[in-house]
Amino acid sequence: MVDTAAIRALRTMDLIPYILENPGVSIRSLSERFSVTEKQIESDLQLVFMCGLPGYTPYELIDIIFEDGIVSVIDPQVLDKPRRFTKSELIVIALGLEILIGIGSSNPERNQKLKALSEKIAKLGSSNSVSFTPSGNNSIYAELIAEAISKRKNIQIRYSSLVKDQITDREVAPQRLYFMNGNLYLSAFDYGKKADRIFKVDLIKQCEITGTKNSEADEETNESLRVVLEVKKSHRNFIERNSSIISSVTENKDSFNVNIDISNIEWIRRSILSNAPGISVLSPDSLANEMRQSAASVLALYQAEK
Amino acid sequence: MSSQKTERLINLTLALLATKRYLTKSEIFKNVTGYSGSAETMERMFERDKDELRSMGIEIDVKALDPLFEDDQGYLIRSETFQLKGNEFAKDELLYLTMAANLWQSTALGNDSKAALLKIQSLSGPIESDVVNTPEIRDSENSSMLATAFDAIEYSKVLTFQYNGSDRVVEPLGMYTKTGFWYLVAKDENSFKSFKLLRIEGKLAISGKQNGFKKPENFDLVQYLEKMNNETVLLAEILVRKEQAFALRSKYVVSEFDDDWDLMVLPYSYEPEIIETLLWYGENLIVLKPESLRKSIKYSLKEFIDG
Repeated sequence: MVDTAAIRALRTMDLIPYILENPGVSIRSLSERFSVTEKQIESDLQLVFMCGLPGYTPYELIDIIFEDGIVSVIDPQVLDKPRRFTKSELIVIALGLEILIGIGSSNPERNQKLKALSEKIAKLGSSNSVSFTPSGNNSIYAELIAEAISKRKNIQIRYSSLVKDQITDREVAPQRLYFMNGNLYLSAFDYGKKADRIFKVDLIKQCEITGTKNSEADEETNESLRVVLEVKKSHRNFIERNSSIISSVTENKDSFNVNIDISNIEWIRRSILSNAPGISVLSPDSLANEMRQSAASVLALYQAEK
Repeated sequence: MSSQKTERLINLTLALLATKRYLTKSEIFKNVTGYSGSAETMERMFERDKDELRSMGIEIDVKALDPLFEDDQGYLIRSETFQLKGNEFAKDELLYLTMAANLWQSTALGNDSKAALLKIQSLSGPIESDVVNTPEIRDSENSSMLATAFDAIEYSKVLTFQYNGSDRVVEPLGMYTKTGFWYLVAKDENSFKSFKLLRIEGKLAISGKQNGFKKPENFDLVQYLEKMNNETVLLAEILVRKEQAFALRSKYVVSEFDDDWDLMVLPYSYEPEIIETLLWYGENLIVLKPESLRKSIKYSLKEFIDG
């Protein structure tokens, strides 16, 4: 796609304050950050040589040094500061700050600063038509884990597994923290299991940094089971929440047929039962039978109870 | 050709930004490089340039220099509407801004996150990525839909789309995220409704122009969300098998019932949601009260078995 003259003009004007604050930046890095080709960056910079203030003598032109793939700004003229944030950029920042406040509850001093910053951003014109609902179950250990990831340290955790319904102590090498469906997760290498595992951070009950990360991280390949489910439209939440492990979905009149690759059989058993009767198993038959039996034994509990 | 125009747009912006007083058109034509041709041609060029810059969000101030002659207008760009101030944010604030924008890098808002980061780094210089090891958010939303919705709300444009199999024409009022999904709040046939963005079928389209409707004065997004979350709270009395349902035990108070079971009281407002939570624990949990909840659980299980 060819940029319009206006889009190109804005990008070129955005380059100047960026290079000014990041002197000696390479063309390659500019091309990555501004999401255009290196050739485009070069031609934008060529253009800058021609631009400046009325008079257009060397004293009034924007002056940059540009050689061997490295750029610096000598005289930015009036372009010494970046443009103001757009509405959607302010939304991204404002919502991000809300999330940081949510996960930083263990550090009141920092949260004070974050709240003050939020108000500043609101004054810059962030929209009051957009709102973030915190999930309210963030862990007090999020910051400690982030620190361990940065310093490449292992952590010792006490984890209350929702799927196995057990509390275990594990030593793990933390790799990444991420939010999905509003919950914070940690992906880490579990030394006991010798495999990568995903932990829900609010279920981590104790956490401390132990030692330096071991180099071993030879991942065990998880064998997975292909399961075909029929999910009623009223229960499509299940599909939306688990889109990352669903390989295909076909639509019927009142339901969807879903192919899903499962590495954790206990998880799918509990999910199916908790969505009853919204999800049924089409294949494999063994799982379908097993699920009917476990539903029957829960039902038996209710019938036995007076 | 295109390169000349880009150059002219930059020079025009710089001139309007640098000037302390309003510049007239003739001053612009005389001094800003790139304007040439007949008076009429230059006039047309300038009008187009001005419109394009405005459409990119640049505010150009206009002032009548002589009240008697409407044609004699002056133009300038106020620096505070165009640029951030150098001292707008303290060093640690720049770090927090980076972290906040970073969160959204791999989401549907990724482009806005990237653009915001560029501006932050144009104030702060490089920030070591190690210092800002923040979690990232993953979503499966559609960026163009989000952008359309933001735009429609900002400029009060009517939206059309399909939802639950029917055509909707709504007045968009706000957006919110809940459990990681985006929702649109809009006035649909005289009532306020929430639409899950992921469930919007077909195209989310803007119909009509800016200020196509008047935002209701009695609408406030925060209040609307509070009302939505303030449903009546019911209490469920349940038995939990010993050494089971650890996640529930860490949230609610437990008391001993007998040798095998503990008693727990759980607040809830939406039955399908509590049933999902409770059935997760299978045979390790029984609902004692209320009877209506027991009934629904039994019904769900029977349906499932007979499936």
